[in-house]
Amino acid sequence: MTSTAVGAPPAVLAHNVIKDYGTGEATVRALHGVSVGFARGAFTAIMGPSGSGKSTLMHCLAGLDTVNEGAIRIGDVEITRLSDKQLTHLRRDRIGFIFQAFNLLPTLTAEQNILLPLELSGRTLDRRWFDHVVDTVGLRPRLSHRPSELSGGQQQRVACARALVSRPEVIFADEPTGNLDSKSGAEVLSFLRSSVREMGQTIVMVTHDPVAASYADRVVFLRDGRIITELYGPTPDGVLDTLKSLES
Amino acid sequence: MLKTTLAGLRAHLLRLMLTALAITLGVGFVAGTFVLTDTMKAGFDRQFTASAQKVSVAVLTDDKKIPDATLRAVRAVQGVQDAQGLVRGDAALLGKDGRAYGETPTLGMSIVTGPLARYTITKGRAPGGPGEAVLEKGVAGHTGYRVGDTIRVLDKKGTAHSFTVTGLVDVGVDQEIGFRGAVGFTEPVARQMTGEPGYVEVDVKGAAGVSNDRLRAAVAAAAGPSYTTVTSHGLAKRLAATSGLNVDDIATFFLAFALVALFVAALVIYNTFNILIAQRTREMALLRCVGATRGQVFRGVLVESVVVGLLASVLGVLIGIGLGYGAALIFDSGSGVPGGSLVVSPTPFFVGIPVGLAVTVLSALMPARAATRVPPVAALRTQSEGRVRGRAGIARIVVGALLGVAGVGVAALALTATPGKGPFLEIVAAGALVFLGVIALSPLIVGALSGVVGGLPARVFGVPGRLALANSRRNPKRAAVTTVALTVGVTLMTMFSVALASVRTTADNNIRDHFPVDYRLTAQSGPDDRPIPGAAVAHLRADPQFSAVIEVRTASATVGGRKQDVSSVTQGALGHELKPKISAGSLADLRPGALVLHDDDAKMFGVRVGGTVPVRTAHGTMTLRVAAITSGEESVLPDILLDQSDFTRSFGPKDPEQVYLIAGKGVSADASRAAVNKALRDYPAVRVSSAADIKDQLSKALDQAFLLVAALLALAIVISLIGIANTLTLSVVERTRESALLRALGLTRRGLRRMLSLEALIISLIGALVGVVMGTALGWAAISAAVDDAALGLPVGRIVLFILLAAVAGVVAAIMPGRRAARTSIVESLAAD
Repeated sequence: MTSTAVGAPPAVLAHNVIKDYGTGEATVRALHGVSVGFARGAFTAIMGPSGSGKSTLMHCLAGLDTVNEGAIRIGDVEITRLSDKQLTHLRRDRIGFIFQAFNLLPTLTAEQNILLPLELSGRTLDRRWFDHVVDTVGLRPRLSHRPSELSGGQQQRVACARALVSRPEVIFADEPTGNLDSKSGAEVLSFLRSSVREMGQTIVMVTHDPVAASYADRVVFLRDGRIITELYGPTPDGVLDTLKSLES
Repeated sequence: MLKTTLAGLRAHLLRLMLTALAITLGVGFVAGTFVLTDTMKAGFDRQFTASAQKVSVAVLTDDKKIPDATLRAVRAVQGVQDAQGLVRGDAALLGKDGRAYGETPTLGMSIVTGPLARYTITKGRAPGGPGEAVLEKGVAGHTGYRVGDTIRVLDKKGTAHSFTVTGLVDVGVDQEIGFRGAVGFTEPVARQMTGEPGYVEVDVKGAAGVSNDRLRAAVAAAAGPSYTTVTSHGLAKRLAATSGLNVDDIATFFLAFALVALFVAALVIYNTFNILIAQRTREMALLRCVGATRGQVFRGVLVESVVVGLLASVLGVLIGIGLGYGAALIFDSGSGVPGGSLVVSPTPFFVGIPVGLAVTVLSALMPARAATRVPPVAALRTQSEGRVRGRAGIARIVVGALLGVAGVGVAALALTATPGKGPFLEIVAAGALVFLGVIALSPLIVGALSGVVGGLPARVFGVPGRLALANSRRNPKRAAVTTVALTVGVTLMTMFSVALASVRTTADNNIRDHFPVDYRLTAQSGPDDRPIPGAAVAHLRADPQFSAVIEVRTASATVGGRKQDVSSVTQGALGHELKPKISAGSLADLRPGALVLHDDDAKMFGVRVGGTVPVRTAHGTMTLRVAAITSGEESVLPDILLDQSDFTRSFGPKDPEQVYLIAGKGVSADASRAAVNKALRDYPAVRVSSAADIKDQLSKALDQAFLLVAALLALAIVISLIGIANTLTLSVVERTRESALLRALGLTRRGLRRMLSLEALIISLIGALVGVVMGTALGWAAISAAVDDAALGLPVGRIVLFILLAAVAGVVAAIMPGRRAARTSIVESLAAD
C-alpha cells in the first residue's frame, strides 16, 4: 500500500493557492500559486528551509488559515469558501491534528484528550477501534494520567491516538517530533507510518528533519512559497542531498 | 529598573486598566460620600442663612406663646420697619378620603407676605383672606391636592372648614413641617383655625441703616426677658441646630458601604497582580538573569502598584465628585434636602487618594513577594502552561478552621445570652471571624463546590461544559479569590434581606399573637390629645358587626416616683380577646388595688409579682400590688395597666384614647370597614388602622430599607464582577494556545465562548451560594441576638433572585473575554509563546 491506485481522487488537493500576509507595502507573499495533491492512504512529508512556507501551506490545507486565491479540496469539499463554522465542523469531522507541542489540554486525562474530537462532534465511540489504537500506541497504563504526568514522547503518542481515533480523512502533523529525543521521535514516526500501512490512514507531515521525512512515502520540497521538487521512497541521505541542492 | 517597570506598565496597560477600574470605583464611592455630605451641609447652611437673612432680628419663645401686646411693643421700637408674628398650631387637613391626614394633625401656620416672607410660594399665590389656604408642597404631593382644589381642615374644636388652595409653599428643611405637613393661612385665619392665643415667633425687619446688633438690643428690651431675641445670624444657627439632620451620620452610613466596596476591590487587585505575575514569570526570570536582585524585582512590582493605585485613585476621586453630586441631586428631588451647587472640599482628595493607594499597594505586597521567588533559570524553561496547582496548605487549613471555630464559638455565646445590643455586636464580630475563615478555606470550598455546581453544566453542555468545569478547578486559589469577592457582596445582601424578612416575620407573629384585633382607632396624636368621642364608641358598640369593642384610656400619674402614663382597658377583654405574653402572675388578679406591669417597668421599679408600687394621682396616692408582669415587644397592652374602677376613681370618666375593634365571625373585611367608616364619619380626626395596614406600612418601610442597602451594596457586587471579568480575561490570555488547539480540533467559536460563559457561571454560582448560606446564617444569628422571640424569616424569592442575578452577571462578565478568545486567529495562537 505504498502508492495510490492510479486515477483515485487525492485526499487533499491544492490548486494555485496564493497566500499573502500583511497589507499594502508590507505585504509578504507566503505561497506563490502552490498546486499539489496528497494521495489517499499515503504518508507525505512537506519539507523546506525556514520561511519556505511549509507551515503556511499546511495551515491553509487544514482550514486553519484562509487563502487569498486558489482552491483547496479535502475529499469532495471545496474548503476555501466555507464559513468559519463550516470549517470548524470540517476540521472536527474529517481532519486530525498532531502539533509540535502543547497538543493536549492540561485539565483532561490522556483518555479524555484522545476522545475530545469525538465528543466535540457528538459521535459515538467505536470501543474496539479505540482499544486497538490505544494498544498500538502502547498507552493503556497511562490513560488516566494527566499530560503533566506524561513524558514528551507519551504526550505525542496521546496526540497521535487522538488524531487516529476519529478516523479522519487526513491527519496533518506539524513537526510532530520536533520536541522529542531521537528514540521517542522514532517511536512516534514508526507509529505514524504503520498507521498508514496498516490502517490506510492519510498523513501530511511538515518537518525540517531529513530522518523524520524518510519515514514518509513521498517528500514535497518547498522554497520561497513554491513547490520545487518531490521525492518518492525517500532515504535520509537522499532528502539531505535534495535540501542542500535547494539551498544552494 | 524604574524605566523597565514603567515600560512594562505601558505594555500591560489594558490589563492594568481593568485592575484600576476596581480601585477607581471603590475610591469613587469614598470620595462621592464626602462630596455628597459636603454638598448637603453647604446646601443646608445656605438654606438656613437664606431663610434667616430675610429677618433682621427674631423674638423666639420656648413654651409660652408671644402675646399681641408684645408684638405691638416690638413694632413700636425705633428702627423697626416691620414686625410679624408667626402662628403655628394644629389644623388637621382632611385627606381625599375624608379622614385626617397623617399620624399627627398637620400644622396650621400663618403665611407672612412682604419683606419678611421666609417661605417660598412655589406655585400659585399666598392666601389672601378667609376661605383661602396654601399647602406645604410635601403634603400636597402625598394627598394629591392641587392648586384650585377645595380642602377641608379641622379647627381646634374639630369642626371642618373648607378652603380653596391658592398655592403651594416650600418651607425648606423644617423637620416638624416635613414630618407633619402644613397648611398655611392668613394670620387671622391661622389664629382662628389653630385657636392659638399668641405667636411662636416674631420676625422683625430693621429700617435701613440700623445694625442688627443694635436692633436686637432694642427689641429684646421691648419684648422682655421671657423671650429669646436673636439676630439673623443667631437665627440661622438655631435653625441649623434644630433641623435634626445629622449629615455626619449619613456620611458614616455611606462610608461603611464604601469600606465593603474597597475590601472587594482589594481582593480583585490582589488576584489580578497575582495572575499578572504568574504570567510574567519568564519576564521576571529574564530580569533576574540580566542581574536584577530580588529586591529590585520586588520594588518593580510595588512601583507598578503605586502607579496603578495613584492613577486609579485620582480618577476615582474625580468620578466620586460626579457620583456625589448626582446623589445630592437625587436627595434633593426625593426628600427636599437641598442639593444646590456642588461643593468639593479637599477631604475627598486627602482621604480618597491615600486610601486607594494604600489598598492597591497592600494588595500587591504578597504577589510582589511571589515575584521575587522566581528563579533566574525559569527564563530558560519553556513555560509550562495551565499548571494545575494551588492545593490548600496545612497552614491555611489550620488558620481557616481556627477562625471558623472561633467565630462559631462567639456566635454560640451570643445566641445563648439575653438578646440585646451586646450579643448583636458579638454576632457581627463572629460574622467577621467566620468570613475570614471562609476566605482562608475558600480554595477547598470552591474545589468541593465546583463539582456540585458544575455537574449540571458539564452534563448538559457536553464538551464546553466539561472543559469549563475542569478550568474552574484548575487553579482553586485563583478561583477562590475571584469567588470570595462576589461572596462578600452576596453575603451582605442576603444578610440584610434575611434580617429584614425576620423582622417582618417577628412583627407579623407579634401582630397575630398580641394584636388580635381587626381595627385600632387612635386619636391623632398631637400637642393636644383628642380622645375618641364617646358617641362614636357608643355607635360602634351598638353595631352587631363587631363582637368586641375594647377601650383603652390613658392618663398621666406618678408611678414609683416617676411620671408615667397609666392606662385601663375594658377589663372583660383581658385574657379573652387580648392575650399578652405573661412572664409572671395572672391577669385574672387585676382587681381594684392591683396593677399589671410590663417587664421593663417591673425591672425599673425593682418589683415582682406580689410586690407593691405607689401610684400618685390628683386624687391621692394608691399603693397597688403587682398582679402580673407582661413581656414581649409590640404588645397591644399598655405598659402600666390599672384596674378599670381604680382608673375611673383616679381620673374621672373620660373618653378613650384608643379603641380596639374585633369584627364578628363571618363579617367581611369590606363590611366591617364600611361600618367603621360610617360610625366615624363625623369624627374625621380619629385614625383607623388595621392589622393589615400596620403590616403594609412595615412592609413598605422594610422594602425601602432593603432598596437603599441593595443600591449601596450594588457597587461592591459590580466590582466583584469586574474581578470575574478580569480573571477570565487573564485566563484567556494564559490559555491562548489551549484555545487555539480546541479550535483546531473542531470547537466552534460559539463553543469556546460558551465554555468561558459556563466557567464564569460556575464561579459566580459558587460565590453566590456561599454568600447566600453565610448571609442567611448571619442574618438569622444577628436577629436572634438582637431581638427577643425573633421569628426567622427566609425571603426565598429574593434569595433565588440573588442567585439568578449572580449567574446572569457572571455570564455577562464573560462576554468580553469570550469575544476576545473567539476572535483570536488559530494560526497565530498556535505560534504564540
